[in-house]
Amino acid sequence: MAQIRTYVRPMNGWWRRNPYFVRYMIREGSSVFLAIYSVILLVGLLRLSQGQAAWEAWRAALTSPWSILFHWLALLTVSYHAYTWWKVSPKTAPDLRVGGRPVPEVLIAAGGWLATIGASVLIYVIVRWM
Amino acid sequence: MADTRTIEIEVLRYNPERDTEPHFQTFQVPFSDDTSVLQGLQYIKDHLDGSLTFRWSCRMAICGSCGKMVNGVPELSCHKFLRDYYPGKVRIEPLSHFPVLRDLVIDQTDVFDRKLPAVKPYVIPETPKPLAAGTYVQTPQQFHKYYQYSQCINCLLCYAACPQYGLKPDFIGPAALALMHRYNADSRDRGWEERAEVLNAEEGVWGCTLVGYCSEVCPKHVDPAHAINQNKVNSTMDYFGVRKLLMPKGGD
Amino acid sequence: MQTVQADVVVVGGGGAGLRAAIAVAESDPRIRVALVSKVVPMRSHTVAAEGGAAGAIREDDGLDLHFDDTVGGGDWLCDQDVVEYFVAHCTEEMTQLEHWGCPWSRKDDGHVNVRFFGGMKVQRTWFAADKTGFHMLHTLFQASLKYPSIKRYDEFFCADLVVEDGRVHGVVAIEIASGEFVSFECKAVIVCTGGAGRAFGQNTNAGIVTGDGMGMAYQHGVPLRDMEFVQYHPTALPGSGVLITEGCRGEGGILTNKDGYRYLQDYGLGPPDPSPRPKAMELGPRDRLSQAFWHEEQKGRTASTPLGSAVWLDLRHLGAAKIHERLPLITEVAKTFVGVDPVVAPIPVRPAVHYTMGGILCNARTETPLKGLYAAGECSSVGIHGANRLGSNSLAEIVVFGKVAGEQAAQYVKAAPASRTDAARKQAEAAQTRLLGLLGRDKGERFATVRDEMHQAMETGVGIYRKAASMQAACAKLAALRDRYRRGLKLDDRNRAFNTEWLSAIELGFTLEIAEVIAHSAFNRRESRGAHTWLDEFTERDDENYLKHTLAYRTGDGPPRLEYAPVTITKSPPKARVYGGEGKYVELT
Repeated sequence: MAQIRTYVRPMNGWWRRNPYFVRYMIREGSSVFLAIYSVILLVGLLRLSQGQAAWEAWRAALTSPWSILFHWLALLTVSYHAYTWWKVSPKTAPDLRVGGRPVPEVLIAAGGWLATIGASVLIYVIVRWM
Repeated sequence: MADTRTIEIEVLRYNPERDTEPHFQTFQVPFSDDTSVLQGLQYIKDHLDGSLTFRWSCRMAICGSCGKMVNGVPELSCHKFLRDYYPGKVRIEPLSHFPVLRDLVIDQTDVFDRKLPAVKPYVIPETPKPLAAGTYVQTPQQFHKYYQYSQCINCLLCYAACPQYGLKPDFIGPAALALMHRYNADSRDRGWEERAEVLNAEEGVWGCTLVGYCSEVCPKHVDPAHAINQNKVNSTMDYFGVRKLLMPKGGD
Repeated sequence: MQTVQADVVVVGGGGAGLRAAIAVAESDPRIRVALVSKVVPMRSHTVAAEGGAAGAIREDDGLDLHFDDTVGGGDWLCDQDVVEYFVAHCTEEMTQLEHWGCPWSRKDDGHVNVRFFGGMKVQRTWFAADKTGFHMLHTLFQASLKYPSIKRYDEFFCADLVVEDGRVHGVVAIEIASGEFVSFECKAVIVCTGGAGRAFGQNTNAGIVTGDGMGMAYQHGVPLRDMEFVQYHPTALPGSGVLITEGCRGEGGILTNKDGYRYLQDYGLGPPDPSPRPKAMELGPRDRLSQAFWHEEQKGRTASTPLGSAVWLDLRHLGAAKIHERLPLITEVAKTFVGVDPVVAPIPVRPAVHYTMGGILCNARTETPLKGLYAAGECSSVGIHGANRLGSNSLAEIVVFGKVAGEQAAQYVKAAPASRTDAARKQAEAAQTRLLGLLGRDKGERFATVRDEMHQAMETGVGIYRKAASMQAACAKLAALRDRYRRGLKLDDRNRAFNTEWLSAIELGFTLEIAEVIAHSAFNRRESRGAHTWLDEFTERDDENYLKHTLAYRTGDGPPRLEYAPVTITKSPPKARVYGGEGKYVELT
């Protein structure tokens, strides 16, 4: 009814105020590396379609020191991305109950990790075999 | 009886009749082993400064009145204890992401007058059941599909934890969306269609970026992040018109 | 001053208030309902009720059994015609709540489960884990959102009734956020403001349970009935007074003293086995259990804890699974406030003030002697609790009589003549002037000082066991405190916007008057009945002289004028009130 002069606190710097939010921003930031890495792979595909020379040039570019550095960073951040992805995956799943008890979230996340590691091993074996 | 020590409590003060901005004020408060943060505030009000204003009621973490930011974390002040902060100081502020009305009191009308009613938080049955027909049958399995989400005490800690709500106040928010899910998941309810527009909206489940802090701070383990994010799947299926196909509603 | 037009104003947004508002809306959606509450409805004290709500559903149960348990529990001070109505309508209200979504705990076959409660012969307490009040309140609040005719005024503090020509014309309220006064003009007012437990220091109640509605009605000439009957809940945590539900005992919990002895067998509630057994030992009525504690304390057999003396509520034999499923709230509460996990250790408990059996006089239709004023819930004395309330009858009461009040008020406003807005406005202005006067005092005592002295007087003088000298001392002390209150409290807070110190001072005015009524009513009932027990004289029930209700009328600044009214006896003439004794072991569900 009556109008009171409430005070609205500003949001700037919100994520710096709580370690939980800092970790969230790092998690979100890791997707930047994932995006750049995906673009690099897409460019690789494109170069592959453009013939031997283009492909070799792209492969050579990957061996530059900056590229190596980027790829190490990407490996780290994308791994962190995967870790946080599986960690929150139970939140997107429906309520799972076994024998009347809720399935612990850590088990659902572990399931995701098993699938990741399994797929990675499989891809590695296939590539090596080829 | 534990001996009395003294702790420093810093509180945010704001008087809409005088101040243009809030400021902090510090008090020295004696406490013993079982003194809660709320009791610390009550001591200040009773003995040091009667104008310190804050909400409280039940003192047993069931009414949801006493939510405050304690050292930057949303907490129910009645079940946090000064002994756990000592010898450091305790900084108490109103819950984040809400306008400050007075001292530690927030303007909570957005959630109670707009967001909660918007989700139609009541049973919408297939057909109204006459009282004479008795109660619905609800098996333990059906019960557990929604019971956890019915534990919400509307304390608003999840809104204080949600940066999306702070950045975009139109977001329906964790508690309201969890309550919506509570009714959608209840075997006695058939109201999905009625709630769909709100759920599927940008301000509905899609406003959530799974920060997940809401579920961390919820004192009743409602897990609103789970309620919202499992409904992103439902929302998607709804969008493609296959929800009813894949998720038939069982029950009485 | 701002005005709001309504047909029915409901004061208080707890279980009774919400149920009443819904009943008005369902009876006729054209009736304008203003639901005015000093807190947002989910904060109302109904939320803290734990154990359950009564409603006979078992094959081996019946209305006559519920009736007998209630009348016996009330030590025959109940108005039996009202009890008959009450027991006949409990189950349908529980079913209504279930239809509205209340998550009642179920048996494995999906049907609602019921458990034992103190003083009940058969299991009939519907429960939602140990948070029944919480679930009922949230169900009611959420259901109320369906009705567009219910307009809510959250955080509006009702400070006075507007009464003219022996009729109610509205209420005067303070919009808490701004401190502005609002005059609600209406034809009917339903008071659902809860009890007055905060007159005492040690209590299970929230800070808001200050008896505002009782005080307002009393100040306008409506008598308060049977106020001497104050219920001490036997199992509250020492120190905080936080409630540990009777449901613990309904699930088979036991009480032991410091020697591990189930002491209740010494107080007419035994023999201890077979256990559990209805109406015996730990399933006895609350007044008897609280009295037993008092005696144990006198004998030095209670345990000494850092927060006061206590006895032990032992749940260990129930097992972790049952405790976590049926009693999750008290598990959390015990761990948080006294560092005890009930799965591995007994919980320290002691009695604390919990419920006010007495209240605003009203008939079975919730009509008070003041035309247009209705009362429902703990603030009322409708006649079902008598001298001692049985657990789970209160949560049932709020919905049974909340509905009655709503329906009655709805009928009344259709026929009632228009309210006198000119008179209403004048009175509202006068109330505003008076209440603003509290704000401007330059000298006086601190609010907390007067409040603490009131607590001290009530704990010492009007406790579990009462003596003539201590009750008289309490009466005198309360008269003095009222005098000091009248001379003025000095508030630190001079603001209008959200001034909770000012509101506390207004509440204290009501609570002090009610405390005085309690003390005087107690002193003048020269018998022991139910929760009102004398220590060294008048230790027996005296049906010849005191089978009657106490009515307290305000006389201005002086003590209340007491009158007496007969009790309505229909089916159950007063008998000896017996618990314990022989009986069969019962399988708990």
